[in-house]
Amino acid sequence: MNKTKVAKVEEDMISMKNVRVPSSPQDVYPNKPGDANVHLETQNLHVWFGKRLILEKVNLAFPENSVTALIGPSGCGKSTFIRVLNRMHEFIPGAALAGRVLYDGQDMYDAVVDPVNIRTKVGMVFQKPNPFPTMSIRDNVLSGLKLAQMKYENPDEIVRTCLERASLWNEVKDRLDASASSLSGGQQQRLCIARSLAVSPKVLLMDEPCSALDPGSTRRIEDTIREISSDMTVVIVTHNMAQAQRVSDYTAFFLSEDGAPAQVIENAKTEEIFKKPKDSRTNDYVNGLFG
Amino acid sequence: MTSLKDAKFEETFKEPQYPWRKRNPATTFTNSIIVILPVTIFALGFFLTEIPGALLFILVFIPVQIVVAIFATIWGISRKQVGDAILSVLSLVAFSFVIALMGSVLFSVFSRGLPAISISFLSQNNTYISPTTELGYGGVGHALIGTLMVVMIGMIISVPLGIASAIYITDMKGRLAGFVRFMVQAMSGVPSIVAGLFILAAFILTDISGFSAFTGGLAYSILMLPTVARTSEEVLKLVPKDLRDAAIALGSSRARVIMKIVLPTARTGILTAVILGVARVIGETAPLLLTTSNTNGTNLNPFVDAVATIPVYIFQFLGSGYPTAINRSWGAAFVLLSTVAILFAIARIVERSTKKG
Repeated sequence: MNKTKVAKVEEDMISMKNVRVPSSPQDVYPNKPGDANVHLETQNLHVWFGKRLILEKVNLAFPENSVTALIGPSGCGKSTFIRVLNRMHEFIPGAALAGRVLYDGQDMYDAVVDPVNIRTKVGMVFQKPNPFPTMSIRDNVLSGLKLAQMKYENPDEIVRTCLERASLWNEVKDRLDASASSLSGGQQQRLCIARSLAVSPKVLLMDEPCSALDPGSTRRIEDTIREISSDMTVVIVTHNMAQAQRVSDYTAFFLSEDGAPAQVIENAKTEEIFKKPKDSRTNDYVNGLFG
Repeated sequence: MTSLKDAKFEETFKEPQYPWRKRNPATTFTNSIIVILPVTIFALGFFLTEIPGALLFILVFIPVQIVVAIFATIWGISRKQVGDAILSVLSLVAFSFVIALMGSVLFSVFSRGLPAISISFLSQNNTYISPTTELGYGGVGHALIGTLMVVMIGMIISVPLGIASAIYITDMKGRLAGFVRFMVQAMSGVPSIVAGLFILAAFILTDISGFSAFTGGLAYSILMLPTVARTSEEVLKLVPKDLRDAAIALGSSRARVIMKIVLPTARTGILTAVILGVARVIGETAPLLLTTSNTNGTNLNPFVDAVATIPVYIFQFLGSGYPTAINRSWGAAFVLLSTVAILFAIARIVERSTKKG
């Protein structure tokens, strides 16, 4: 990474800072239907760790109640990208970014925005199941509401709905007070999804949620993803091409070539990415020719 | 196989079994020879001759062990098994050494302290008692109360401070984290008498306070703080980052992540940190001589007037040289050890009962 390039990008950022860029889906995401109600998008996003540019010029928009899969080789910044989307990126020492991340038209990195609020609207499910080991299954589902200090009524109803949506209810309905660590890996991951649903986020980010799970649990989580996308926007990072095709409406392909910062090579409807990709690199990747 | 045998075979499945506990008799025999022979020779040499144990260990035990091991290999026992057997003997020797040390400390305190113990010894104070008074009169009641007060005050000050500084280092990752860690480390090297001198100079000689349980507690807290902070820091580091991430992603403020997730997860370890802190100070005598002084009566006010403590009581009577006074000291040592044991047991029980909840 040469310095002049970084400087130039930063310059670009400064010059566009005060200009209101119209967030038309067609501009940034040409393959989207024009009437899609985009409420999360990135504009000219650049991400650094220290002085190293990781992501360059990412313009992605996520239409409401759609599922977008992010694919690409390991280490190309997909996980970093979704951590940017709910302001978890800033916890990594040396992290920096430029560009905008608009949530409902508001730049979520604006000084007036409270990151804690953003994270209740944009939830996240992690690669490794991470239920709270000191809490029961029930308390795990309600933990988000308690941690975010949200008011709620009828906790039993919330626990039941969330567990049902995460297709875990039938397996645990008789032992809601058991410790969360007594569950299997697949069940723990579904519990984590139920926990994220309890705070009713508008967007759910999933970082390879099935990478450590058996096919049965993966199947159930995919069903859950389809189900929750009726009233939630889902962004899922996956290395499983079949999974991307099964669950997503849109797919974005990230690639970093020869140590250069990663870019979005192609993004389109999932069918198009897999059936008739425009870029030869996308074609090679989705057909397993590299990566 | 007959049907009867089949039935018996089926029958065995009904009970839980532990097949891995079975030993190969041949291996057990040879291993026990490898293990027992050198130990026996060493023990004989130790108890029947005047040769010092360390010399015996180097000149007899290790050569015999090596010779036995060589023969064992010649006899066709695999080298891995011999290695295992030797390692287990060496660790057993080290283990017995530690147990013997601890055992002899406990034994001498028990055997010499127990005769002094009675209800009156635990409940009465030291008023009108001289070093030659018989054991039936007077006791450590006042000093026991004093020690508990001083330790409690030390805990009230150092535990919140210690945990807070551990949180600052691990979770807040403040700009001064490295400096705080360095200072805590440096503090753990402060000799106890220096802590006492500091409190003496800062509080007592300046007339802010007289000798009292409170000033003693201040001196103790200086000594406890580094232990509590260092141990808590290690424990907080063990809480997986995943859990913190999960809580943050649910829209939790950082304060709530620490209070609701990090500290509850690390609860057991933090309790250990507190126990280690108490264990660090409870027998310290030097700082108390300078900060609580000593008294013969019972003083229940932690802020006013000198107070007696068990370490100082032991010091006081041991110095007088009379046999009954020395017995009193041993009795007080027994009380101190028991107090520590009881406090630790209570802590463990509390911890276990909260874990299930």
